[in-house]
Amino acid sequence: MTLDEVTPRIMKFISESFLEGDPKGELTETTPLLEWDVLNSMNSALLLNYLREELHVDVPLASINAANFRTVAAISLLVSGLTADSAEGV
Amino acid sequence: MSVDYDVVIVGGGPAGSTAAAYLAKAGLSVAVFEGDNFPRPHVGESLVPATTRCLLETGAMDKVEAAGFPKKYGAAWTATTSPNINADLAATLTHELGTADILFKERDQPGTDRDYTFHVDRSKFDLILLKHAESLGAKVFQGIRVLRADFDDPEKVTVTARMGRHEVGVTAKMVIDASGRQTFLGRQLGTKESDPVFDQYAIHTWFEGLDRSEVANSPEKVDYIYIHFLPITDTWVWQIPITDTVTSIGVVTQKKQFAEANLDREAFFWKFVESRPDLAAALKKTKRVTDFKVEADYSYAMKEICGDRYVLIGDAARFVDPIFSSGVSVALNSARLVTDDILKAFANDDFSKASFATYEKTIRNGVRNWYEFISVYYRLNILFTTFVADPRYRLDVIKMLQGEMYDGGKPEALRVMQETVAAVEADPTHLWHPHLGNLRVAPVDA
Repeated sequence: MTLDEVTPRIMKFISESFLEGDPKGELTETTPLLEWDVLNSMNSALLLNYLREELHVDVPLASINAANFRTVAAISLLVSGLTADSAEGV
Repeated sequence: MSVDYDVVIVGGGPAGSTAAAYLAKAGLSVAVFEGDNFPRPHVGESLVPATTRCLLETGAMDKVEAAGFPKKYGAAWTATTSPNINADLAATLTHELGTADILFKERDQPGTDRDYTFHVDRSKFDLILLKHAESLGAKVFQGIRVLRADFDDPEKVTVTARMGRHEVGVTAKMVIDASGRQTFLGRQLGTKESDPVFDQYAIHTWFEGLDRSEVANSPEKVDYIYIHFLPITDTWVWQIPITDTVTSIGVVTQKKQFAEANLDREAFFWKFVESRPDLAAALKKTKRVTDFKVEADYSYAMKEICGDRYVLIGDAARFVDPIFSSGVSVALNSARLVTDDILKAFANDDFSKASFATYEKTIRNGVRNWYEFISVYYRLNILFTTFVADPRYRLDVIKMLQGEMYDGGKPEALRVMQETVAAVEADPTHLWHPHLGNLRVAPVDA
């Protein structure tokens, strides 16, 4: 999956799941998710589950850190990279 | 040389009575000396499916089934949930950190013919097993405490027991220590070693009238075993159905937490339970029907679990922590596993330590897996539930929860859990870093 395909889906999931649909449209690709506690350790398991079931991406458990999860852009980069890896492996 | 019995077993709990059943069925003469008079209460009320094979092989299963114990189909974990998720997601809480459940039937288990095991009132369960051993020909002496075992004579072992005001010597080809946490031979031989990390403390009691649906993950899961994480470091609560209306509740924590709290048992119990208001509210509506009981002096290993003319089984050989209901399973499976070696020892008339090498290797492998699973669980804390939710590891986690620990090497999920803990420890920016438990255990040989 390309970055352009992944980004809107992750935006939508975070908006709907953790921001009650983001009625004011505040969420951007560079919103600091961790600093603003949109994403935290507790709900990270829900995001991982979404990535696994809907995008078919298994995030290595060691990668769930601030660098990879600080923004939608960072998460999307990680996820598109993982889908590219698995595509190469086929 | 003639002896009174082929085998003397010290202790008539599940380990001793199961060993007696296996050996009596095989034609040996067996005496069981139990210090208490059954029935007597005992902690360790939830079984895992690995017990099924043993109960079937000894023939005790029909009697256990007939007793009508609550059936245990699965296990569940709960934690306080985070506030910032929407209602739809809250309905799928099995993916929230700290919350999960499993059904045993998700994974076929060799030697197990049913998709449940039991929660048991141990006073009844242990009596059933002891009576069953007796029905197979074992001589059972209750209320007789064994004082020592004398190995000086190379041809036999002499066990000295107190009968009334007298001491009586009983001879046998070998002795099995199934004395549980009393660790009869470990103490006599000086081979008992306390665990440096797991200094746990449990306080537990029975409640009448708990509405289990109030604290269940969903209504059909009311009779699972529940592990409730408390928002207190390395602390959790067990919830085990004993009858339709009676529920066993225990708080397990570090002993130092109890010492620091400086409260009596009842005040301590409620202070800790109240850290989970949902659980406390449900329990406050019930009636407590037994005294608070305490288990301390918790975790230990033995330098030797067999030697010339003796073997240790069940809790007498090793005890770590009750988090995965391993106690009765280790008791029954160690009795099962030692039987082959004992029968060969009789066939060869050789009761040297080397005769029990297969048992020693297998049981050490099993209890090492249990120990490492329990260790990594405490370090993972609520992160454990991500492995339950992850389809890559779920079946392997269930295999461990079923109690299949003895054959083969380290389970794959256990290896991945240990690697994950190492990665999360090494990365302070890891989202899960704050959730790691405090109990740190270096991998060690069991």
